[in-house]
Amino acid sequence: MNTVDIAILVAKTLLFYLIVLHVVPIMVWVERRGAALIQDRPGPNRVGPFGLLQPVADFVKFIFKEDPIPTGANRGLFLVAPALILIPASLTLAVLPFGDKVKLFGREILLQVADLDIAILYVLAIGSLGIYGILFGGWASGNKFSLMGALRASSQVISYEIPLGLAAVGAVAVYGTFSLREIALAQDGLWFGWLPRWGIFLQPVGFWLFFIASFAETNRLPFDLPETEAELVAGYHTEYGSMKFGMFMMAEYMNLTTISGVMVTLFFGGWHLPFVADAMLLKWIGSQNLLGLVQVVIFLTKVAIFLCVFVWVRWTVPRFRFDQLMRITWGRLIPLGIVNLLVTAGVMLWLGGWK
Amino acid sequence: MENYIPVLLLLGFAIIVASSILVLSWWLGPKKPLAVKLSAYECGVNAEGSPHAPFASKFYLVAVMFLLVDVEAAFFFPWALVYKESLQLGPILFVALVIYVAIFALGLFYIIKKDCLRLR
Repeated sequence: MNTVDIAILVAKTLLFYLIVLHVVPIMVWVERRGAALIQDRPGPNRVGPFGLLQPVADFVKFIFKEDPIPTGANRGLFLVAPALILIPASLTLAVLPFGDKVKLFGREILLQVADLDIAILYVLAIGSLGIYGILFGGWASGNKFSLMGALRASSQVISYEIPLGLAAVGAVAVYGTFSLREIALAQDGLWFGWLPRWGIFLQPVGFWLFFIASFAETNRLPFDLPETEAELVAGYHTEYGSMKFGMFMMAEYMNLTTISGVMVTLFFGGWHLPFVADAMLLKWIGSQNLLGLVQVVIFLTKVAIFLCVFVWVRWTVPRFRFDQLMRITWGRLIPLGIVNLLVTAGVMLWLGGWK
Repeated sequence: MENYIPVLLLLGFAIIVASSILVLSWWLGPKKPLAVKLSAYECGVNAEGSPHAPFASKFYLVAVMFLLVDVEAAFFFPWALVYKESLQLGPILFVALVIYVAIFALGLFYIIKKDCLRLR
């Protein structure tokens, strides 16, 4: 590796990190305006055109607010918890394949931070590290609401990790690889000349499991038992103020982006346009580098659609009770995941492995 | 191993961002601590008892179930990776899956029968 390689590596990593980091303020705006739209009220519309600068105003206000540490708190854990939840949320984006590859400075550059051959395991493993932040935050706050929220959050996240993993196992069995890049590459083109070669047509039940479990993994509304503002004030971040509270929000939206990205890659063709093969797109555009840019735009558009679905569901569906939540995963999703796996394996055996 | 260098780089960026937010927020905010302001939030009344009071054993139950089932589920991953290639060798891995799922389902059935899911 020489200096140019290292510079490219740093620039690429920073670029994708900044892309996902900038999803956060956009999502804050989309969430608040989306909520307003669904609840038939104007929403934040004062700061900038359509209230677009509201997240900036929020950030400035957060950062200039007092940063109190409650007397009952365990100071060390209380301070480190928001960082512990934000860092894993940032790390998972490393394996998202934003696009195929571009040629710059005589080198082929993958449009992905790191093409790990265990990408799916990496996402599941690092993604579940965030639970330490939640648990430490709730425990260290010295508040009963926080502790209750943290306990609920941890039991919910670990429970829904199993259906999430089982859904991913189905996709891995079909594609025969853990690498998200190879899975995305396998979804180029059409079957029978009319059906996009997307994972959802191979694993419809797997997608549905992954989709449901991802709501619970990111603590979003039908399963936002850890927060339940009507019972637990704000759950594990009750005692947090200033930008430390903002860090929990940042982590939530970054997790949302990553899980949407994984969902797009596993089940919705990654960076591929439906009905248009990459080779055809390359012929229209004429340049590999431009194609890379278009692919990143396509990928981000698909992710944006999923993020909008998350907002839409959050403000439409009411919350489950804790025992219902647990019964859904242990009694329904996990058996369904295993049956899905058996059926997938059986069909693959019957077809002799699809090419 | 070279693939993991960007991951470490990302870890570095994440640590820089997280710690700089923590420091900025502490440095830029006003510091006027009051006893009332720093007390635990309890909807306006004084907090009673220890905040780390014993909690419901159902959470412990969930943790035990998770340990059992997640360790079992983890064994599906290596199976899934080689399944597609193993199809040339005949249905040997399919049979293995059926046997393994039977054991898995037995455990899950036991959990449900023991009423571990009535978590109210």
